[in-house]
This record gives sequence, structure tokens and C-alpha cells, in this order.
Amino acid sequence: MDLTLQILTSGLLLGGLYALLAVGLTLIFGVLRVVNFAHAEFMMLGMFGAYWLWALWGIDPYLSIFIVVPGVFLLGVLTDRLVIQRSIGAPEVTVVFATLGVSIFLQNAALTAWSADIRSVTTPYGSAVVELGSVRISVPMLVSFVVALAFATGLWLFLNRTMFGKAIQAVAQNRDAAALMGIDVGRVYLVTYSVAVAAAGAMGVLIAPLFSVYPRVGLSYIVTVFVIVVLGGLGSVVGAVIAALLVGVIESVVGFLLGTAWAELAYFLVFLAVLVVRPQGLLGRRGAEVYQ
Amino acid sequence: MSGATPSTARRAVRAVGLVLLLALLLAVPALLDSAYWLDLAVMVLVWAALASAWNISAGYAGGLSLGHAAFFGVGAYTAVLLFNELGVSPWLGMLVGAVLAGLLGALLGVITFRLKGPFFVLATLAFGFVVHILAVNWRGLTRGAAGLTLPFDGGPQNMLFADLSTYWYVGLGLVALVLGVSLWIERSRLGYYLVALREDEDAARSLGVRVVGCKVIAAAISAALTAVAGTFYATFIQYIDPASTTQFELSVQIALVAIVGGMGTALGPLLGAVIVIPLGEVLRASLGGGPALAVYGLLLVVIVLTAPNGLIAGLRRVGRRVGVATGVVR
Repeated sequence: MDLTLQILTSGLLLGGLYALLAVGLTLIFGVLRVVNFAHAEFMMLGMFGAYWLWALWGIDPYLSIFIVVPGVFLLGVLTDRLVIQRSIGAPEVTVVFATLGVSIFLQNAALTAWSADIRSVTTPYGSAVVELGSVRISVPMLVSFVVALAFATGLWLFLNRTMFGKAIQAVAQNRDAAALMGIDVGRVYLVTYSVAVAAAGAMGVLIAPLFSVYPRVGLSYIVTVFVIVVLGGLGSVVGAVIAALLVGVIESVVGFLLGTAWAELAYFLVFLAVLVVRPQGLLGRRGAEVYQ
Repeated sequence: MSGATPSTARRAVRAVGLVLLLALLLAVPALLDSAYWLDLAVMVLVWAALASAWNISAGYAGGLSLGHAAFFGVGAYTAVLLFNELGVSPWLGMLVGAVLAGLLGALLGVITFRLKGPFFVLATLAFGFVVHILAVNWRGLTRGAAGLTLPFDGGPQNMLFADLSTYWYVGLGLVALVLGVSLWIERSRLGYYLVALREDEDAARSLGVRVVGCKVIAAAISAALTAVAGTFYATFIQYIDPASTTQFELSVQIALVAIVGGMGTALGPLLGAVIVIPLGEVLRASLGGGPALAVYGLLLVVIVLTAPNGLIAGLRRVGRRVGVATGVVR
């Protein structure tokens, strides 16, 4: 019983981490109709940002997040201006492979600059736990979980309660009609993309005390997050959060029972099945899968 | 020039060019006297075949696959396992691998034909990962990350050659096969159907094109040819492991070579291999692996943003201009 509870808790916390990546990825898809293959690379840059600020000047990740996230946001602005905006309305091959190219570039630029060494941030609270009854919860995991849910809630409120949020939704529904209503589509794209990758950067900083960083660290997350985003319905913020928690729990349960490799295989097969049977995702709007 | 009409002059130029190119290709082992460069040249052939095979389903039929490493792996592992476990010649193993991959490709085609754009891409990516995870973890069969070696015994009847130049000629045959299939598809009814459904699936369907059948056939042919290249690669390197045969990066590079050269044309992917593979090798030798791949990434971004039809389109424009300037083309 205790063990079951422990595994479920770990799964939920892991899911929270995934949610911070998944919410941004799904938003970018919903609004820009671009699959951002480079998404996890911004997380990697966030991790490296946290690492270097800690290694060079001893700045704690929970402080450096206020430096790193704006930095990643600016990188997002740059990427949007240089690559993403130029690929909108271009042939499909451009839309798919432009972000894949950005991903390859960022990964290997990091490899060139910082080598393939595996680095980690050590903090006094890195392995701290709180005990809730018989369940032990890692403090940094809990913090990132709370931040992820707060971000998702804030984003949801922003999208539904503010004019700019509604403008973003309008662009997601119909780019041309939104433009005709006087919405600055380019600005909507810019804000959406930059905020989403900044969230990925924030996740990078938050997990820096927990996991090691190396240039290819993104690859192990991005594929899981694709699974989550498709399960939740591409473009659905609420769906992404629920699917992230679900995948986190599945991963920790199946991983505990059968080992991580088979857990991965299991959710790829589920992913393929969902794509084939219900491409709009478990919670996605019907028709969202009809691409342009 | 006044006697010959432009079209016969053009044909003559083309014929002379073809003969010269063929002579050059056959002379490559004599021209490249270092094993290093000949080895690289054979790898160019492998990539030319892979990018061409990818182009059949992606370029003609419009299904941008990021899972083709799976078929490459099936071709490599089938031939090596059949040879090591049962003593079956890789020539035969190549056929078995091609049939297996063709069936897998058809199966993937059947389950994904409805998917469009990113959904198709993600489905092929997931399929590639499934095969990769199996290759890494099904240790009883594949020996996992340790990989498999192909013992050098037997010689030509087992597709194992003592000198590099024979690999070059066999590789040329492989590229000729894939190019031949591509050209045949381009000129066949199937090719026109594929292009029609790539451009507008609903319109093609309303004109009576059997959309599902065409897509599945293209996927199967593409997968089978990719597997043939996989077997050739395995007998050339004589060692395979998941990192070199089924990894995601491999699928990306197959697509990259074809896109840089020019998708949807028979010659584009070949041009892509001739440019991208030596460029990558030179960069790797001079700057190291990280910078080489960073340049790949940049190249991909720049090409898809500025020339989504690839370098072949630019080359054609230049060729036309030269032709006009010299009076060969009006």
C-alpha cells in the first residue's frame, strides 16, 4: 500500500515536470500549427544556464531562474523572428524541418561550446525530502510540480480572461479571420512562441538540482512530451496537463513493474494507437487534427 | 550550330554528358587512391540510395517520414542475423530483409494513411522509436548495444569483398537500382497518381485515384529499398549496432540529405548525398563532430527556408542559363 502510494506520487510529480514542457509545446502547435522539435533544447539551455551561473558565481538555481528565463525568452524571440515566422504558410517540409534544424543546431552548438561532459548542480536541498505520512516527496520535485501547475493555471486564465489571450485563441481558430478583425498575428505568434519556450527554459532551471545536464538531454524528454501532447490533443492546454500527469504515472508504474525500456515501448505503442484511432487526442477538440 | 535544331543539340549534349559521367563513376576507384576517400565515396553511395528511397514515399507521395532508420535497421539486422545464425548468404538475406521491410512499410502505410502533416511525421517517428527500442532491448536476438559483427569469411558469394573498389561497384549498382525505380515511378501511372494526391488528396480521390493503395505501395517500395541499402551497409562496415542502424538521428539525416538535394525529383537526393556527406566528413575532420552537426542543422534551416525545392532546383536554373548562353537551349 505504502509502496503503491509512493509510486503514484513519484509518477504525479514526474508528470508535473512533463507538463511544463507539454503545455508550451501544445500551445505552439495550437496557435502556430508548428511542431516545435526544438522545444526541449530550450529546456537544455535553461539547465545549462542554471549550471553555469551556479558553477561560475555560485548563484542558486531558484535565484538564477530570474536571469535564465528572460534569457531563454529572448532566444525564443530571436528564433521566432529568424525561423518560425518565415516558415508560416510555407510548404509542409519547411514547417516540419525548420524547427528540427534549429534543434540539431542548438544541441550541437551546446556540444561545441560545453563538450559532452555530464554536469550537475549540487544544492543543499537537492536530495531533501518531506515526509507526508509514509510517502517521501523530493523537495525540488515538489517545487517544480507546483510551478508547473501554477504556470498552466496562469496560462489558462491568461488565454480565457484577457483580451490578448482571446486574440491568441482567435488566431488558433482561424488565422486569416483573426487578421481581418485587426489582430496582429505576427505579434501573437511572437508572444506565444517566446512564452512557451521560456516555460521550457524554466523547467530546465527547476530540474537542474535534480538531474544532470548534457547537450543531448533534450532528446530523452522531447519524445515523451510529443506522446503527451498528442494524447492530450494537440492545442489543448488542459489536455496536456492531464496527459502529462497520466504519462508520469504510467511511466513510474510500468517502469517499476517491467523496467524503463519496456515502459517506453508501451507508451509508444499507445501513442501510435491513439494517433490512428483518435488523432484528435483523448481530450482534444474534434477536427483539431485536420491540419490546415 | 545553324544545322542542328536545339532539341537534337540538347540531346547530343545530354548523351555526351551521360557517357562522361558514367566513365567518371567507373574510374572513381582508380582516381581515389586513398582508402579514406574511397571509403567516403562508398558512404556517399549508401546515403544516395537511402535519400532516394526516402524520396519515393516522402518526395513523390508527400509522406514526410522520420522513421526510415527502422527499415535500414531491418535490412541490416535481417541479413547479418541470417548469415550468422543460419549461414544464409547476405545476397539472399538482402531480399528477405527487403520483403520484411516492405511488409512493415505497407503496414505502417495502412495505419497512417489518414494522418496529415505533423501527425504523420510523429507517427513515423514513434514507429522508428519502437524499432530502435526493440533493437536495443531484445538482447536475445540483437545483442543490444553490444552490436553484431559480420565475420569476414566466404567472399563475393556472401557479399563480402576483399577490396574497397568492389564495394564501390556494388554500391553503384545499388544506387542505379534505386534511381531506376525512382525514374520508373516518375514516368508510370503510379507516379502521376502519387504527385496528384500529394498536391491535393481530395481532388485526386474525386478523380478516381485509389489514394490508400498508392500510398501503401509507395511506402512499401521505399521501405524495401531502404532495407537493401541497410544490408549493403552491414556488409560494407561488417559491424552493426542500434546506434549506427536504427537511431533517430539516422532518420533525420536521411531526410536532410534528400531535402538539401531536392525532394520530389529523381536526381535531387543523389545530389544531396554528393554534397552533404563529404561536407559533413570534411567538417568533422577539421572541426570535430559537434560543429559538423551544428552546420548540418543550420544548413537544414537555411535550405528549407530559402530553397524548399533543394539545391537541384537552383542547379537547374544555372544549367538553363548556361544552355541559353551557349545556344544549346533556346
